[in-house]
Amino acid sequence: MRPEHWLFTIPLRLRSLFRWSQADQELEDELRDHLERKTEEYVSHGMTQEEARRRARIDLGGIEQTREKCRDARKINWIQDFVRDLHFGLRMLRKSPGFTAVAILTLALGIGANTGMFTLLKVVMLQSIPVRNSNELVVLRWSANKQPQHSGFSSFGDCPWRRWTNEFSGGCVFTYPMFEEIREHSQVFSGVSAFAGPAPLDLSGNGRASIVQAELISGDYFKTLGVSAAAGRTIEPRDEKPGADAVTVLSYAYWQGAFGGVPSAIGKSIKLNGVPFTIVGVAEQGFTRLTPGHSQDMWLPLTQKAALRIPWGGPPEKPSTSFWLVVIGRRKPGVTEQQAGASASALFRNLVVDEKVFKPEDDPKVAAVPAQKALSGIRAELEQPLYILMAAVGIVLLISCANVAGLMLSRAAAREKEMAARLALGAGRPRVIRQLLTESVQLWFAGAALGVVFAYWGAPTLAAFVSANRHSPFQIKAEPDARVLAFAVTVAALTGILFGLVPAFRGTRVNVAPVLKENAGSMAGASFTGTRRFGFGSGLVVTQVGLSVILLAGAGVVVRSLANLKGIDPGFDTHNLFQFGINPTLTGYYKTDQVDRLYRELQSRLSGLPGVSSVSYSSDTLLDGGLWSEGLKIERRTDKSNADTQMLAVGPDFLETMKIPLLRGRTLTKDDMASGRPVALVNREFVKQFLEKREPLGLRFGGTDAKDPQYEIVGVVGDTKYARLRDAIAPTAYVPLKEKEAHFALRTSVSPQALLPAVRKVVSDLDNNVPIFDVRTQTERIDRLLFNERLLARLASLFGMLALILACLGIYGLLSYEVSRRTREIGIRSAFGAHSQDVLWLVGRQGLAVVILGAAVGVLAALWVTRTLGSLLYGVHPSDPMTFLWVCALLATVGLAACYIPARRAMRVDPMVALRYE
Amino acid sequence: MLVSVTEDIQLSKPSDLVQGTLDMLLLKILALEPMNGFAVSQRLKQVSGDVLQVSDGSLYPALHKLEQEGWITAEWKTSEYGRRAKYYSLTRLGRRQLEKEADNWGRLSSAISRVIKLNEV
Repeated sequence: MRPEHWLFTIPLRLRSLFRWSQADQELEDELRDHLERKTEEYVSHGMTQEEARRRARIDLGGIEQTREKCRDARKINWIQDFVRDLHFGLRMLRKSPGFTAVAILTLALGIGANTGMFTLLKVVMLQSIPVRNSNELVVLRWSANKQPQHSGFSSFGDCPWRRWTNEFSGGCVFTYPMFEEIREHSQVFSGVSAFAGPAPLDLSGNGRASIVQAELISGDYFKTLGVSAAAGRTIEPRDEKPGADAVTVLSYAYWQGAFGGVPSAIGKSIKLNGVPFTIVGVAEQGFTRLTPGHSQDMWLPLTQKAALRIPWGGPPEKPSTSFWLVVIGRRKPGVTEQQAGASASALFRNLVVDEKVFKPEDDPKVAAVPAQKALSGIRAELEQPLYILMAAVGIVLLISCANVAGLMLSRAAAREKEMAARLALGAGRPRVIRQLLTESVQLWFAGAALGVVFAYWGAPTLAAFVSANRHSPFQIKAEPDARVLAFAVTVAALTGILFGLVPAFRGTRVNVAPVLKENAGSMAGASFTGTRRFGFGSGLVVTQVGLSVILLAGAGVVVRSLANLKGIDPGFDTHNLFQFGINPTLTGYYKTDQVDRLYRELQSRLSGLPGVSSVSYSSDTLLDGGLWSEGLKIERRTDKSNADTQMLAVGPDFLETMKIPLLRGRTLTKDDMASGRPVALVNREFVKQFLEKREPLGLRFGGTDAKDPQYEIVGVVGDTKYARLRDAIAPTAYVPLKEKEAHFALRTSVSPQALLPAVRKVVSDLDNNVPIFDVRTQTERIDRLLFNERLLARLASLFGMLALILACLGIYGLLSYEVSRRTREIGIRSAFGAHSQDVLWLVGRQGLAVVILGAAVGVLAALWVTRTLGSLLYGVHPSDPMTFLWVCALLATVGLAACYIPARRAMRVDPMVALRYE
Repeated sequence: MLVSVTEDIQLSKPSDLVQGTLDMLLLKILALEPMNGFAVSQRLKQVSGDVLQVSDGSLYPALHKLEQEGWITAEWKTSEYGRRAKYYSLTRLGRRQLEKEADNWGRLSSAISRVIKLNEV
């Protein structure tokens, strides 16, 4: 069409779109005018008024059709049609509230589960770092083909490489001189900053002493990230200078939580590890994290680490061999990651060769990795369960869509007459299909709207569950946002059209004449459209049953695996055990014997609390994820290689409190602690692996360094699990605890909540400046340890049950429809003497066939799907026969129950009523 | 899917008229003077001597189509008997369209006549 043409046509189209009631009125007037004139003409030819009017109408060929054709000439009619379809669809949906409610609820469950999971997935996996232009940020990583000369390594920076070989080493942390070299001399970054942590610090001077997580940062951290202050100022380069005032900047959440968000907190002095610090500001609210899942309470300049007695970075006089800083830079505009990496690489190489960390032939180099990718945090561990669960909710969505498609199919059958009437009145089939599609999309959108509401409520619950089970609870804001809404709308539109299409096509495949004939109603359905439609409807239900088998089987093996993990005997009594951590060494004024005395005093006072039967302490809590392991040399051992041993430093009565059996010799006593004699206990596995039938008692073992203490074995104890339940039993040695943080364990019959205030009082009576932390029962620790498994088991069972319910609804709906369709047939059969069992079988076999077929297909698919869970499972095969058997039995029971109700209705069909039914 | 389904392609093509001719006829009639739908149908019958049977049911959709194409424009006027009626008149675009179609028709009809007049041997 030529542009000038549009000048005419566009206003016309717009007019017919926005003023269609006027356009319609004019059309109406025009046609009426025509009819009047025509009538007058015929009258003037001698016809009667009545006859003339009839002829005029016949000439016009059906006023309604002509009017419709004229409307169609307007081209944008489809918009008008669409709006009319919407109105009509709403009316139809309102007319059958039962169907509408079930369909919307079903879809809402499917879409809601997906939206909720997607929200969580988005927060954990997809959300970008909440700072300005985060795509410019890169994190540096080094690699080389030899191991470096180093004196220590931190584990910050979420490094993907752990294991070094003789040909490869690599890391995500740098020494301070390396960072400084790159910061001072690199031309490719608009800012370079380093950070390390978080460090747990003892905070006092603001109410009760507590432990805070602080990140040590270089002075240009906030400037590089582009984060400003919500109050006061951020940390600035001058704060990093030697001799600068000790200052700290709080995170917004901590400011709100610990200081109530009052502005007067700025300028306040607090004590960190006993050292006074001034709060100079609060970071902006949006800056919740750099690494997903790691939230800080506050930030401090790197240079304060010596004052805080944080041992990272080695002694100040030897900074060039201690790797501990994560280096993050902001690329200048136009600088690629490769260029940034190459520039940093050159500086790095010169420095490390100069400082003899590497030789030139070791090929030391640096790469710049996008910060979003490099700082993975919890992403790494949650990735697998989250994607598995996302797949599971995808299956739930498919089931709910298939379910609603089935419902619509049976409704289409009930609306056969309506469709026939529309087609007979001249509506084109595409037009009717469009109408039906509009109805289904409406249904899907209503489902999506309700689903988003579900997600709104569910996602934060889910996020809280995730957050509460982390070692350091993190801020996670799981609220559906624009992206989530777009996701829900897309899902609804796609599935609505996809699953609405078939019912719409089937629904309009109506043979007009027989359907419209009186009395033909349900028989017609049975005779010609019925068989094929039933085939498709059954197919939908088979799909639902099959998909729910997949989910249930997946959930089954995960639940069994969790049960296996929980059923593991850890070698000590995990019940009624309450633990908390304490670290008087942070506050600094304690000497070894003072720490020792404090612990012993605490132990005796805590033992005196009502309901507490035994108290002890150790350097670490068992089954809490932490592990201290050393390579030891053992006296008179033939094998001279290092004996890798798990170490645990313990206080007196540790065995008694934990209920670890003493097998030989004696346990560690108060006197051992007081005398400082190097005595130790070893477990049975230690004896079995390292001592080859030699008498263990009296043997000595210890570190490989000459200065390391050599312990004398005084007892052999039972085996226990140390860091994680999944780990195999390993050689373990228990040595007396000295000069370390301690985790107190209380064997108690009282609930931890009731005990906690008394415990806090005992501690603060002894020293008001020593906070307690990590307060949990052993069972809670194990739960946290098994978090991924529990998350999977809990949600997978939930989704599996949901799937089962939906599939049963599907079976029920299919059979109910069949029964109502065949009421007349059943009536005739009964009239001719069919027994109620025959009728039961007539209906029931269909349900049975669907369940059996669905289960068979589902089992085959599940065998393949559950294999992907392999690495997550413990002590159960992915295709565990028992689980599959249980799933099938469950499905058969519930499925048959779903068959029974409609079948019973069929049995009760009264022939007389049925035959008169039409 | 949603848009492709209207059946308006057949609107102006009643089976008894050669494709596109109705449009041309209507344009030609309206080129003479603006008139309302009823008058168009009368005139059509009158000039063609009842040879061209255009039912009223085809006439109005065709007029509306021409209006939407921008070839004719409509106006509500009071007629000689004091009746309000919708009067159609040709636009500039319509006149051009008419010339084009008349040209086509001339070529087509003379070609057909030549074929028909061939002498059988």
